[in-house]
Amino acid sequence: MKSQTQASGVSRRSWFHKLGIGGLLAGVTGMGYAFVRALVPNVLYEEPQRFKAGTPGQFPEGATFLEDRRVFIVREQNTFHAISAVCTHLGCTVKMVTLNQPKRVAIGGREVEETREFHCPCHGSKYYGDGTNFAGPAPKPLACYRVELAPEDGQLTVNLDEPVSRSFRLTV
Amino acid sequence: MAAQNKIWRQLTWTWKPASDRDAGDSVVRNLLLHWFPAKVTIGSLSFRYSFWLGTISAVLFGVLCITGLPLMFLYVPSVERAYQSVKDIEFVVSFGWFIRALHRLAAHLMVAVVFLHMVRVFLAGAYKNGTAANQARPVNWVIGILLMLATFFLSFTGYLLPWDQLAYWAVTVGTNIASAAPLVGDKIRFLLLGGNQIEQNTLLRFYVLHCFFLPAFVLFLFMWHMWRVRKDGGLACVDKLSLEQKRQNLPPVKSKTYSLLGITKGRTVHVETALVDEDEHTVSSSPFLTRRILLVMLGTVAVICLLALLVATPLEEAANPRVTPNPAKAPWYFLWLQELVTDTTIKLGDFTINGALIGGILVPGVLIVLLAVWPWLDKSPVQAVGVWFAADRRRQNLVFLGIVLLVLALTVVGTFLRGPYWRFFWPWEAWPEMPAPF
Amino acid sequence: MDWKNRDTVTVYSLGGAVVVMLGVVFWNYAQPEWKGYQEEFRELVTRKFGPARARQVPSGIQQIWVKELGRVDRCTTCHLGVSWQGLESAPEPYRSHPKEILDQHPVAKYGCTLCHGGQGYATDTDSAHSVSNANWGEPLLGGELGKLNLISNREALIQVNCNICHHNDRETKGADYINYAKRLVDQKGCTACHTIGKRGGTVGPNLTYIGDLAPEQLDYSRMSGKPSVFGWHVAHFKDPKQMVSETVMPNFGFGSKEAQALAMLVMSWKRTNLPMAYMPGVHIPEPQRTPEEIAKEQQMLTGEGAFFVKKTCFICHDVSSFGIESATKIGPDLAMAYSDVQSRFGRTLEDFLKAPTGTMSVVLSTQIHLTEAERDEAIAKLKVAYQKKTEQDAKNKVAKK
Repeated sequence: MKSQTQASGVSRRSWFHKLGIGGLLAGVTGMGYAFVRALVPNVLYEEPQRFKAGTPGQFPEGATFLEDRRVFIVREQNTFHAISAVCTHLGCTVKMVTLNQPKRVAIGGREVEETREFHCPCHGSKYYGDGTNFAGPAPKPLACYRVELAPEDGQLTVNLDEPVSRSFRLTV
Repeated sequence: MAAQNKIWRQLTWTWKPASDRDAGDSVVRNLLLHWFPAKVTIGSLSFRYSFWLGTISAVLFGVLCITGLPLMFLYVPSVERAYQSVKDIEFVVSFGWFIRALHRLAAHLMVAVVFLHMVRVFLAGAYKNGTAANQARPVNWVIGILLMLATFFLSFTGYLLPWDQLAYWAVTVGTNIASAAPLVGDKIRFLLLGGNQIEQNTLLRFYVLHCFFLPAFVLFLFMWHMWRVRKDGGLACVDKLSLEQKRQNLPPVKSKTYSLLGITKGRTVHVETALVDEDEHTVSSSPFLTRRILLVMLGTVAVICLLALLVATPLEEAANPRVTPNPAKAPWYFLWLQELVTDTTIKLGDFTINGALIGGILVPGVLIVLLAVWPWLDKSPVQAVGVWFAADRRRQNLVFLGIVLLVLALTVVGTFLRGPYWRFFWPWEAWPEMPAPF
Repeated sequence: MDWKNRDTVTVYSLGGAVVVMLGVVFWNYAQPEWKGYQEEFRELVTRKFGPARARQVPSGIQQIWVKELGRVDRCTTCHLGVSWQGLESAPEPYRSHPKEILDQHPVAKYGCTLCHGGQGYATDTDSAHSVSNANWGEPLLGGELGKLNLISNREALIQVNCNICHHNDRETKGADYINYAKRLVDQKGCTACHTIGKRGGTVGPNLTYIGDLAPEQLDYSRMSGKPSVFGWHVAHFKDPKQMVSETVMPNFGFGSKEAQALAMLVMSWKRTNLPMAYMPGVHIPEPQRTPEEIAKEQQMLTGEGAFFVKKTCFICHDVSSFGIESATKIGPDLAMAYSDVQSRFGRTLEDFLKAPTGTMSVVLSTQIHLTEAERDEAIAKLKVAYQKKTEQDAKNKVAKK
């Protein structure tokens, strides 16, 4: 009898002991998590990456450069897309060059007629109108970002946090 | 399974020694435990002797350092952005309100606990040497006084950082009192403020003092303080025990020495223990001392967590140099000084006694100096060491207690009984409603 | 139980207490007040507009940071419907903001607290809607404060903030109390004794920045009710001698409405650091022009040659027969282009515009883009211009003779 209660006493003690260690670990982990989580910002004092650019009617045919956002809003009839003006080499702002005559180029196996190009003044990178890099040190094409219509006031909403494929178009 | 258990035991045996031999080994085989002696007297572990105030102070300092680290990432020490960054910590940073509350409560508690620790040590005559060789408790007492002053200054520098009305005017009052020091007062104020007004320079140097120099100073002094405790043979109650043992005329016990394998000549590394019967009066540090320390740690953390959940951390309006709040008060631990300044500013006809000088500089200055040198002025016999309210030290204890109570009374008056225009209000008298814009 | 075991039990209990309290802290982290409001709003939108729109409702703390004003407003964390249409009758905090005023004061440019007051930094209701002065200087100028101050239109207090920008307006739409007060200032001749802005007398105190007065700086001993700056002004306007015994300010017999309106007006007279763009009626000077220059510009913009102004040809070229004058005259007069191009380049005008050479090739490829239709229009107009020019020249020759 005595040995039985002794044995169960020992296992109860070790159960408590495990609980205690577990609680200590939980407490320390909890505090540690709290202190580290506090350093992950919940708000940013930065320009919001998702912003309203204006109503579709305000944009003429072709590309409009938004200088402080470093992005081109391109309108082709009633489709819109947003292409970044940040050179993929070292981050300079590219310039748009409208071609006098449309140029026929092969992109990804298909023949496309380009009416504009983007040239970077820093190190000579060049991109076709759809963002494909074809000259200079640029390693990647220019990024394209999602464009949506804001439901409350019908403005174009550009989201620089959401890259999309080069073929993305918003039809208005 | 067996291998895991083996690793577990390898990592944890020093904290749960299975035998007396293991317990003795723990303090030389574990980094965190190497500071402890192998054994401590049961009397040293008593809650009622020391109230563990020293340990609580250390735990609070640890909490302050740990909570201070994320705060250093989140707070901006610029006059344009400081207030905003504190608002952000309160509202927008995850757990920000909690970290800030812990930091503030630990700070206020540490000032109080450090003060109480000093009072305890005095009343128990623990600044006195016992009969063991090479004790220097009076030196440790002075180190303790310096630690207390560093604590006050840490709290004062931290108080300014939120840059709200409370902070700004509290530091105005404090530094104005400091400028009353003779000869060097204005220079001290100019250096403290980094200029003539409380502006960006003040904020930045207070910030650097608060986050680096003062904590480094405290850490250094703390190390020295703890080392001295070991060298002095432990708490003063151990000396009391050894004296009692001598009176009982018990056979002498062996003192411990740790020689460097007998290689060195001359003095060996000698732990100057008081001489007590180990079997009867001591227990192993691991696990009994360590467990109590864990208990005190958890207790302290539990108390400040509870207070953090119940007490709101104040943040008043943004600092406005053109508008003085009414009344403008120093932080509570300096309110006894502010009250003293008021009470010693006496108008005698055309002449006004400079209360800032008397109440703000001379009185506290004399008190601190007296406090620091008291162990050398204390002529009580060695039997009074480590004894609460020893008969031989009755008079000095009463005088000391009287001064402490006076300081506390002045603090209470300054906190609760002084209202707008520093007029006196009894606790039952309502303060006039303070005006607001609307 | 001996002390050793008591210690163990105490350690476990205290540890448990700490873990429980941490649990409370983590609960607060997982379920902040605003989360409930956002969930409720999402449900409301789903019911009213469907799940697709509901997916567009943002989550997390929403922040409007207006850099120029140094303001941070997090009101839209709960007041999610502010910019939406169709939520005009929804309960607060989901209601749409009145549209007209929001169109003129877009949220991204103004924030919320510039007009409404309150504590923009806060993310819980009590702190954000702060009405007391305890921890934030700007109370929420809403119905609660209006009721406390016995204003018959409880929401009118916000007009104090309107006037901080609309300071120089004679009349501001929607600020009836302020407008009334400004009329009173004119009618009663306050500037006879007080300096307001640049003009006025010196008998009474300078009122230009009287709104900066801190509550501590006034004497409330002679008024009843809650001591407040607003209350002091109202009492003072109603009976100046009651509040300041040595005053010479006459009693104008103002009633509550007049006193409240004037109090609101004077409390808006504060020093501000607002950028000029935020202040209506602030005149940003333009270069001086004579009436003849202005008339000429009008003619160029609306006359026959407007095309050449719109497409910016006139920067370098005159088109004399249309009255288009270039300031620079870098290129030749386009009125002669129809024959000039032929004689200079040996090509027709149409050819040249399709495949220009020299400077024009650079200009027409980079600076000025002409569509096919625009090119045709240019050519047609240049033909007309040439005809007109030759007619004019012929007339002049005859006149000379």
